[in-house]
Amino acid sequence: MIFPTATFTIFFLVVMPLSWLTMPHVRLWRIFIVGASLVFYGWWDWHFVFLLIGCTLWTHFWAIRISREQRSAARRALLTVALTGLLGTLAYFKYFDFFVNSSHNLAHAAGIGMPDWTRTIVLPVGISFYTFMAISYVVDVFRRDLRPVGLDRFAAYLTFFPHLVAGPIVRGSELLPQMRTPRDPRRVDSSRAFFLIGTGLFKKVVIANYLATHIVDPVFAVPGAHSSPEILIAIYAYAVQIYADFSGYTDMAIGLALLLGFTFPQNFDSPYAAGSVQDFWRRWHMTLSRWLRDYLYIPLGGNRKGRFRTTVNLMITMLLGGLWHGAAWTFVIWGGLHGVGLATERWFRERRGARRAGSSDRYIWLRRLATFNFVCFAWIFFRSDSLSLAWQMITGLFTRWGEPSPLVTLGVVVWIVVGIGTQYLPARIPQGVMARLSRLNIAWQSLALGATLMLANAMGPQGVAPFIYFRF
Amino acid sequence: MITRRRQPTLPSGRTAAERSELRRQARQLQDDQDGAGPPPRRRRVTSAWRALAIALAGVVLGLLLDAPGLHKSAVNQPEGWQRSVAVELTGRLDRISHAVYLDRPRAELKSALGRAQDDRIDTNIDIPIAAAPVPTTTNGEAATQRPPGKTAFSPAHPLRLWVAGDSLVISPGYALLRAVDNARSIKSVGGVDGQVATGLERPDVFNWFTSIREKLKELKPSVVVLTFGANDDKGYMTGLPKGVTVSDFGDPAWEHEYARRVAGVLDLINRAGAYTVWIGLPFTRDPGQSARFERINAIVGREIVKRPNTAAFVQTDLLMAGRTGGFAQYLRLNNGETVDARAPDGVHFSADGGAIVAEKVVEQLYRKFDLTSWRRHRTNGATATASR
Repeated sequence: MIFPTATFTIFFLVVMPLSWLTMPHVRLWRIFIVGASLVFYGWWDWHFVFLLIGCTLWTHFWAIRISREQRSAARRALLTVALTGLLGTLAYFKYFDFFVNSSHNLAHAAGIGMPDWTRTIVLPVGISFYTFMAISYVVDVFRRDLRPVGLDRFAAYLTFFPHLVAGPIVRGSELLPQMRTPRDPRRVDSSRAFFLIGTGLFKKVVIANYLATHIVDPVFAVPGAHSSPEILIAIYAYAVQIYADFSGYTDMAIGLALLLGFTFPQNFDSPYAAGSVQDFWRRWHMTLSRWLRDYLYIPLGGNRKGRFRTTVNLMITMLLGGLWHGAAWTFVIWGGLHGVGLATERWFRERRGARRAGSSDRYIWLRRLATFNFVCFAWIFFRSDSLSLAWQMITGLFTRWGEPSPLVTLGVVVWIVVGIGTQYLPARIPQGVMARLSRLNIAWQSLALGATLMLANAMGPQGVAPFIYFRF
Repeated sequence: MITRRRQPTLPSGRTAAERSELRRQARQLQDDQDGAGPPPRRRRVTSAWRALAIALAGVVLGLLLDAPGLHKSAVNQPEGWQRSVAVELTGRLDRISHAVYLDRPRAELKSALGRAQDDRIDTNIDIPIAAAPVPTTTNGEAATQRPPGKTAFSPAHPLRLWVAGDSLVISPGYALLRAVDNARSIKSVGGVDGQVATGLERPDVFNWFTSIREKLKELKPSVVVLTFGANDDKGYMTGLPKGVTVSDFGDPAWEHEYARRVAGVLDLINRAGAYTVWIGLPFTRDPGQSARFERINAIVGREIVKRPNTAAFVQTDLLMAGRTGGFAQYLRLNNGETVDARAPDGVHFSADGGAIVAEKVVEQLYRKFDLTSWRRHRTNGATATASR
């Protein structure tokens, strides 16, 4: 099930009242929400429900064992077992095809015949997201930052359907306390919820789909057949598309959770208004960034072991962050570029900090422009199907300026401007809209919601394209 | 109860960037607090039941405002009881919406966007009346017609290539455009028009007959590369001529009607002066589906054999088969490299699989057309100029 569909709408309109009806009996609610979440997940492919249940039981079992164990070495061994199981499952689903391809080629090079492999591994939707949540839970228990909870509460936390398939990656310390006691049915932040659902729907269904079909997909598929202006605009369009697609989904997730009485952390904060690469990562996929920081970068040593180790740690973190998206050189280069960007910035900051701290503030717009273009350059590798296509995109930027550009239309330019321009809006504007919305009576609020649904449906293409981050 | 919240204050004596960063952090803090505690003072909270009432009323209103689009989506669904129920419900909704003028805003918006036809359910199949088939020999060659000489193309007069079809055409289509990217005598027109979940059975979902007719006029292609059939292995067709009924996939009435539609597409393209390269359906992971695809391939093959000078069929079943002769996820190329040739669904082509199919299409184009002699003429011209 995906959010902007009739099936999900019916599902949610049934689940929401039942959720509030069972809420006073919180254990019953947990059982209900786990059941509803499994239905939500199994709608796509029921086989993978068992994988989700397995992941839940595995994590819960080892978290309990770790919490009961007092000896440090034994605790570490138990954590290793738990993480091996979680990461092994993730690696199997994400990298098996790559492994089969490579082993076939190696076997051929060694003159060994291998049978035809007729199957491929289907990546279960959302496996990366719930595996990362499970890892954070078991590591937090190991670090004694979190006490393990009962199976019903843990299962409700891990399988809670609003975040299940594409995040945000919510930590146990954020969501588990909310699931301890009943949520107050008199205090639902519905105006924020409807605002997020409406804007998320519009971003995904209208902006992301329009840019994907009108310029991004055709240009990235055959860069050689397009002019330099088309390639340049396609790169900017992809930057807006991936933002609108992913942030649109998480906005909807946050809004749906609010309607059920739960709060998720923010996942995007105007990332294209960032003034540095470091700032970009504070604003882009924030829950993944902090996950990588807290469960990879800091355990590697962070910036505590000297300049060289800091650089190495940054590179490892960003390269693994790239590989998390898939076994392809394009993702490795994307992660590597961001690693180099972060390390270079740190180096400059340290040098400048020693001489004249904060002297470059008058260049904030220049730095924003440079950061945005650096991020867009890295997106070329992220979006391209192969390195050769990425290279064609880059060379195509400089070699065909005189050619006609039929794909650069007013509609494409308008949505790019809207997608980037809205990130510079002061926070008081959306806050003000939400506040005004909250003061309207039921009829006007319903009208606003109905009109938004109509606008998104009428302006979007027929059908709904899958979300980009589902495949990660 | 609504609580008052104190705004975080900004320390003075900071640079603009630091102040900007602090403001951002303050905003972030406020957002976080929005989640952790009560919402900001200016925003009112409400009860869960009131929120549910707003959601229900909003959805009902949205349904009424979107009724024409929803009805079309319901009609487009695969045959089955869910479709029947959805068509019935959305049909009533559409009538109510129309009666109370709630369908007007959507219609006006669609019209303003230049997409007034989006909600129209078009099942009209406007295809040329089938010409008498050309007699053929047993090996499929035309018995009485001599094949015409190769038509020559050059950079000044390029072969105009249009790729269209269902979702199976997308990967080979883009691979084809990449393959001919440097061939100066071939020019892509219209890119790859791959319409997901469409075919020749259901013009109500997407009317290819109308679309092809319009695109032929607009793009004036010399060659049309097509794939249809991956969504046509069902026993349900719309746009049937009066008095014609089909019951099951593959029954004589179905085969006759499907052949008529394939012939119609081929003749439509031929009458516009273009040549058709039809990419056949591959084996899939599901043996039952593979068998149905083979029946469709047979129908298309028969129609193409009747038109040897205007169309060609690129077979992909054996091309993409493994060593056992059936479906293979991975294929070994001539250079020994193993590639993942198929998408995870076991039906579509992967990027590498698409490239294998595209190579065959390119071979067919070079076999059928003269795409290289312009180089000789240019070289000769250059030599003559140099010797003068």
